[in-house]
Amino acid sequence: MTAKTSASTIDAGKGPEQLFGERLTRLQTALKLGQPDRIPVQLGFGYMLSEMGGITRQQLHEDAAKEQELLEAAALRFQPDSAMSVFNNPASSLAIGGDAMTKFPGHGLPPDGSFQFVEGEYMKGDDYDAFLADPGDWAIRKYWPRVFPGLAGFAALPPLGMAAFGHYSLYNLGALKAPPVVEALRNLAAGIEAQAVADARAVASVGRMAALGFAPPTFVGSLIEAPFDFMSDTLRGMRGIMLDIHRRPEKLLAAMDRVLEFELEFAINWSRATGINVSFIPLHRGSDGFMSIPQFEKFYWPTLKAMQEGLVANGIMPFVFYEGVWDQRLSYLAQLPKGKVSGLFQSSDIFKVKEVVGETMCIAGGMRNSLLQAGTAEEVREFTIKLCREVGKGGGFIMTTGIGEMEGCKPELVQVWVDTTKEYGVY
Amino acid sequence: MSQELINAIAEMNEEEALVLTRQLLKDGAEPVSILEACRVAMEEVGKRFEKGEYFIPELILAGEMLKSISEEVKPLMKQSAGGATGAKVLLGTVKGDIHDIGKDIVNFMLDVNGFQVKDLGVDIPPEDFVAAMKEFKPQVVALSGFLTLAYTSMKETVEAIAAAGLRDDVKIMIGGGTMDQQICDYAKADAFGKDAMAAVALTKQWTGAN
Repeated sequence: MTAKTSASTIDAGKGPEQLFGERLTRLQTALKLGQPDRIPVQLGFGYMLSEMGGITRQQLHEDAAKEQELLEAAALRFQPDSAMSVFNNPASSLAIGGDAMTKFPGHGLPPDGSFQFVEGEYMKGDDYDAFLADPGDWAIRKYWPRVFPGLAGFAALPPLGMAAFGHYSLYNLGALKAPPVVEALRNLAAGIEAQAVADARAVASVGRMAALGFAPPTFVGSLIEAPFDFMSDTLRGMRGIMLDIHRRPEKLLAAMDRVLEFELEFAINWSRATGINVSFIPLHRGSDGFMSIPQFEKFYWPTLKAMQEGLVANGIMPFVFYEGVWDQRLSYLAQLPKGKVSGLFQSSDIFKVKEVVGETMCIAGGMRNSLLQAGTAEEVREFTIKLCREVGKGGGFIMTTGIGEMEGCKPELVQVWVDTTKEYGVY
Repeated sequence: MSQELINAIAEMNEEEALVLTRQLLKDGAEPVSILEACRVAMEEVGKRFEKGEYFIPELILAGEMLKSISEEVKPLMKQSAGGATGAKVLLGTVKGDIHDIGKDIVNFMLDVNGFQVKDLGVDIPPEDFVAAMKEFKPQVVALSGFLTLAYTSMKETVEAIAAAGLRDDVKIMIGGGTMDQQICDYAKADAFGKDAMAAVALTKQWTGAN
């Protein structure tokens, strides 16, 4: 990796079709722990697009045509192997009448605010029994009305198990004529339409980017979470879940087993339906600092490991976002099936990550967002060269920022970073 | 002061701690002595957290126990117990960011180390930090943030403090999520801390406390 090439001439004269093929192969080879022709670069632009385009973040979320235009312009300018815009989309949430757990620019935030989750104890400690008995029934009749005001009417539905009453279950349909239920059904239908439009746009965007020569981003897959995070993020909240560890450990463990089961079924079906054999799994509370190692071994790791193994057994690659710092628990990751899983690392010591899991999984990440915002061109160049030489060594590395979001990053520093990777990332 | 109660809290035996509190009160224990036992127990919890034996589940449960015990004891108090007398720290999550976990841990650790902490909450604009500084007169300002957008908010907050002519009155630390030395320099803060223990160490160092 000492051979130096010039970033400006490296892909000169290649058409979009050739570029697409080369870039797809480059990313796929790295994901499978192989050594491609050079280190692939993936840019998760996020709000950097609205900054470059001079529009608000709200506009970026809500004006799909403008968003696509900015994504294309940025990708053509920096020439990464794959590129993406913002991950979260408010369309279906707005269509059903809003939700309690997100704030989007222009909706609970100023037009230039950053999308955020609002954690709460949306599931109470004494909801566990109902959740364990029938998570689907509990979610639709108890949880949705709490978190989606537009779906409050579903609280009036008969127990969903009554649907198993064959012919006689039809006699209960009259209950769906109650005005709050009618309103909830109407809002749900609006949400379905909005999500279908958003999905179609996402598919069209990937197609449009492919026509310009860019491979699909590695984030494209079914979205699932580690069972512990599933119970924490949108159900019990931080305070609730941490108390569960002490107050009701057996129930928490039983709930996670149920979650693992239906998340796996969902991901497998999703991949069969779309032909995309990837699951994106962002992790939260498993990071160093939240729980002790014995707690991690009991509550977090077993179901996360089983989830990844289950996906791999079904031919699906987990692309796992190891958010936070995993320095103290990297050895667990080394137990995963070699060459069949991948990880994006946010703030872990990326050089240590390479050392401990470099022979197990493809590593994505490396570049610090802070450096691209507050560093100098020389610092960016030096650090990029170090990443190429040490983390890129032998392949199995995708150069990205540690966070899949580049708000505040300076375009001129991003250019230095991408170009330096092309220069020094050649194998 | 009941060693048994101290142990129950420090060992995370929630039910035992409440039963003991009620029994002690029934037997005529001074309410103040129970709160004192809580304080000693919290110090122990803080020490175990520093040593890496306890983590967030224990801090949160300890906080819950403290709340329940206070509810038992407070109605019986004739006078309020003396508060902390240590140096003052003004704390908050900067504008645009609503993350509170790290900030709350810093609050807990500063509190058990005897500092007077004023926590402004989350999504605090620069002008609110400045207004609170004028009223509370802290020696230390601690800015928390998790999102990358907080880089800019931290810079703006330090600038607002300087523009109000208060920069020389305080030491400013930043921490949380993706903060690092780069952002500390960028925001022109005095130091960056990677965890709650660093926040305590910096505050001690800056205020001369032991």
